[in-house]
Amino acid sequence: MIHKLDPNSKIIYIFVANIAPALIGARMATASFILISIVILTIGKVLHKTAPMLEFSGLILLTVAIIQGIFHQGNTTVAFALGSVVFYKEGLMFALGIALNVINILMSFSILVLTTKPSDMVETFVHMGLSPRLGYVMSSVFQIIPQMTKTMATITDAQRSRGMETEGKLKTRIKAFFPLISPVVMNSLISTKERAIALEVRGFGSKQKKTFLNDLQKTRYDDIFRFVLILILILSIFWRVLIWLK
Amino acid sequence: MAKIVAEHLKYKYPLSEKLALYDISFTIEPGEFIGIIGENNAGKSTLCQAMVGIVPNFYKGAYGGKVLIGDMEIAKSNISDICKKVGIVFQNPFNQVTGCKLTVYEEVAFGLENMGLPRSEMIDRIDYSLKLLDIYKYKDRNPFDLSGGQMQRMAIASIIAMRPEVIILDEPTSQLDPQGSEEVFRAVQNLSREGITIIMVEHKMEKIAEYSDRVMLLHEGKLIAFETPEKIFSRDDLDCYGVTAPAYTRICKSLGIKNKKTGFYPVTLEETKSLIGFSEKERCPYDQN
Ligand SMILES: Nc1ncnc2c1ncn2[C@@H]1O[C@H](COP(=O)(O)OP(=O)(O)O)[C@@H](O)[C@H]1O
Ligand SMILES: [Mg+2]
Repeated sequence: MIHKLDPNSKIIYIFVANIAPALIGARMATASFILISIVILTIGKVLHKTAPMLEFSGLILLTVAIIQGIFHQGNTTVAFALGSVVFYKEGLMFALGIALNVINILMSFSILVLTTKPSDMVETFVHMGLSPRLGYVMSSVFQIIPQMTKTMATITDAQRSRGMETEGKLKTRIKAFFPLISPVVMNSLISTKERAIALEVRGFGSKQKKTFLNDLQKTRYDDIFRFVLILILILSIFWRVLIWLK
Repeated sequence: MAKIVAEHLKYKYPLSEKLALYDISFTIEPGEFIGIIGENNAGKSTLCQAMVGIVPNFYKGAYGGKVLIGDMEIAKSNISDICKKVGIVFQNPFNQVTGCKLTVYEEVAFGLENMGLPRSEMIDRIDYSLKLLDIYKYKDRNPFDLSGGQMQRMAIASIIAMRPEVIILDEPTSQLDPQGSEEVFRAVQNLSREGITIIMVEHKMEKIAEYSDRVMLLHEGKLIAFETPEKIFSRDDLDCYGVTAPAYTRICKSLGIKNKKTGFYPVTLEETKSLIGFSEKERCPYDQN
């Protein structure tokens, strides 16, 4: 169901999930949005795909926590000590704030990235005004890289069948690499030129406003989802104004 | 429908010393099937590209004379406008895949999206051209997972969907296996029946002789002759231009069998059969009753 949401709705979610907590100014708000993102990712059955990214950023955030816990400027209250190393509460809370924000950003972007077809995502960006040329580069990366890997394999096979050693010791591999890479590079240079021409004759350079075959249609769920998001945003602006007025 | 007129067309690639096209003039009528023949480097591809504006809009270089499609002058128009009137299909099917679309259906849509067509019209046109090229059944496949012949037919479908008045095919089967080539030739015949003007560069002379209304013979950038296939292939100097006549013509030439009505040697199997008085009746006299 999450996969069927219009990518635009997911972009609105990213926006609200990151702006609203900033307006409200409480760590609880950030934490709540992380929770909401987790729920959405679970419904979309892609939560497990965030693991590698979270592990990596977790490592960095842990480093931040250690450094801030020990050296943060406003450190006064001792939280705990490991041997002679003293950790302070202020620094740790500061690091917690950073961690929540980073995780919130990661999780909200994950919803867009993990539950949207790359091609739909690029198309949405082009709709939003990204140049079609840049959009083309982005979406062709998903297609052409696997193709280049295949070409590479074909050429290696061809060279091996002509008796060239392509495996084994590092030296043999390096020797095999150059004759391999030159046809690959030559091939891709020629095919890049030919493909550029093929794109031109299909009107790629047209100044006409593009239309799209896939119509990324809003559903009722999109409307509900967006309504709730906008409501949250308005309430948090309200909250901010109230604080100012006090 | 538009005529194609070339007047004293001359062209030299940048960084090249000799002319790739030398003073070429001709007129092609709407609906004609034109074959282009000539040895390697004769200028066939360059001429094709000059009719879609790749020469001189993509490759710069020195250009003289003019090419007109109807009242549109190629050298003064953008490729993105020309391509609505003239479509081109190249040798390598692989390099014509846009590489940014995940299905055959979306691939064919690419040109239509660039033209800014409304969605419903796109769908009509894509369905029509996929069916015409007999690849509708592969519409949900990844473009790169097709065979060479299927990929080339997809390239043709992508062009047909843009509804050009002229379609140019530059050696469309030279990189295909015999089966793939046959698929493409059948598709090209279908297009011709639709009344679209077709210009095809091809080395298989039997095919050129069979399909073409007229044939252009190019050599070193010059247009040597532009005549009916019978007249072209009856020439005595074909070998000077690196061209071999179709097998039937060569056999009849050596046997001295000419078509009395036209005064030329036959170029297709059918014509040869009828000339030597071969008929099904004589072959199986006792089968008829
Ligand atoms: N991109 C290019 N740059 C420079 N010279 C070219 C280019 N393409 C073709 N030529 C030259 O132009 C001449 C005609 O080539 P081409 O039109 O490809 O011939 P054909 O298609 O009949 O084999 C040849 O001499 C060739 O070397
Ligand atoms: Mg050529």
